[in-house]
Amino acid sequence: MALALALLLLAAQNPAAPPAKVAASIARVFGPGARIDTLRVDSEPVLRVSRADSLVGFAQVGNVLGKDQPITFLVAIDPADRLKDVDILVYREPYGGEVAYEPWRRQFRGKTAADSLRVGREIRSISGATISVHAVTLGVRRLLADLTAWHQRGAIR
Amino acid sequence: MQRCFSWGLCCALAAALPQAAFAQERTTLGGYGELHYTNLTGPNTPGVVNLARFVAYLAHTFDERLTFRSELEVENAKVEGGQPGGEISLEQAYLDYRLADWLTLRTGLVLPPVGIINETHEPPTFNGVDRPGFDTDVIPTTWREIGVGAVGTIPGGSGLAYRVYLVNGLRADGFSASQGIREGRQEGREASFANPSFTGRLEWARPGWKIGGSFWYGGTANADSVLGTGSFAAPITLVSADLRYDAGGASFRGEVANISVSDAGAIDARYGAMVGSRIAGGYVEGAYDVLRLLAPSSPVKLNAFVRHERYDTQASVPAGVTRDRSLARRLTTLGLTYKPTWNTAFKGDYQIVRNAAGVGEHEVLSLGVGYQF
Repeated sequence: MALALALLLLAAQNPAAPPAKVAASIARVFGPGARIDTLRVDSEPVLRVSRADSLVGFAQVGNVLGKDQPITFLVAIDPADRLKDVDILVYREPYGGEVAYEPWRRQFRGKTAADSLRVGREIRSISGATISVHAVTLGVRRLLADLTAWHQRGAIR
Repeated sequence: MQRCFSWGLCCALAAALPQAAFAQERTTLGGYGELHYTNLTGPNTPGVVNLARFVAYLAHTFDERLTFRSELEVENAKVEGGQPGGEISLEQAYLDYRLADWLTLRTGLVLPPVGIINETHEPPTFNGVDRPGFDTDVIPTTWREIGVGAVGTIPGGSGLAYRVYLVNGLRADGFSASQGIREGRQEGREASFANPSFTGRLEWARPGWKIGGSFWYGGTANADSVLGTGSFAAPITLVSADLRYDAGGASFRGEVANISVSDAGAIDARYGAMVGSRIAGGYVEGAYDVLRLLAPSSPVKLNAFVRHERYDTQASVPAGVTRDRSLARRLTTLGLTYKPTWNTAFKGDYQIVRNAAGVGEHEVLSLGVGYQF
């Protein structure tokens, strides 16, 4: 009975809950109390993160397809266009969830758009999570390239 | 005021999110398959080409929580009445109800989470044209049964994931000396639920690492009056462990399993199958991507590998059964896997098949193509 009630309560929660997850992710990556503004480039939303009127970085949320579900992730860069961190905001598949583990995401830190990011070379894979590893790596590469290009041409500042 | 601020922030952040990901029903197609050429040594053994597997993956997402997933398989390309070979079967068909990262409820035709290959059986994921013999004769891949269970990751960044199921049991009347419990599988076809069985797995992952342990426990008597009518009559206990590791261009994997057939004596007396009371074995495999040396900037892989398997489906036998030493098998496989992309593979290998009795020993040359998408 208690188990059934607990399952019902779990089911009643919103599985996506994205805005709160984005806020928590930004706080984790840039530290608490940062100011977040939403900019738009080519109608794409970009988050500008600042503290006491000085820029501390940018972040963007993206989706890539895993085996059959979108994986919602966030890429954050610092003002020098180095990747600060990758976060998995919502993972919906029953397999491959290892991409959310910190030891895997850590491999992206400090990378720039000029760096090569290949699975099996710069980015180690995880057996049984191959589809998600490739999908997220490709997604990170794209967002990192976009953020860097926009920042360098002054579309975000 | 505080509340106002956080609502405002949430609205701003909601605007920052791409909308595509959320709450639309959608259907996903995928698949995998493999083509084999095999040629045994010895006279009058012409080569054989076979479209071994063609599998269509079909999934439908109903909402953020509920997803149906299935694999429909055609084995050996064609099924015709009165002709041997060929099979059309559902390899998986289940509903997932996702409650949290740590809890997804699952029901349907599921894959017991035993060993490496049973759950991850797409051809580009393993070296060698055919699956390891161990994963046919000891762990009976592709093993699927009907039941309910739960899967998820254990929170807190532990790197641990689990799967547990309650499924229909195996049937002792299918057990055999050479393939152990394999033909005891019911595979979702009007399966008897006389012996509900438990199976599960715990695994730990890090970049480059995956280590897992699995079990199966359940009766096999199928309410046979001789073997027993209890839920757990004539039980089998399977335990297995596996490891996968890769670093640089090198990769390593291994699996071991032990299956205890408690009432093998009674099963053999009832069905004359000579099934072992203990079925055990394992393999180790090492591989190296030689293109790392020859073309370091290439994303293409060429894995040279060697695998050594040792297993015995009569590791122990009940009193009154004479052990057939030809069932204590030793398989050594040397080969190459060429992977132009991570999800396609062109394979070639040479397998040396030996056994403790020295009977029927031979070698096999195999070529194959595999894909998944």
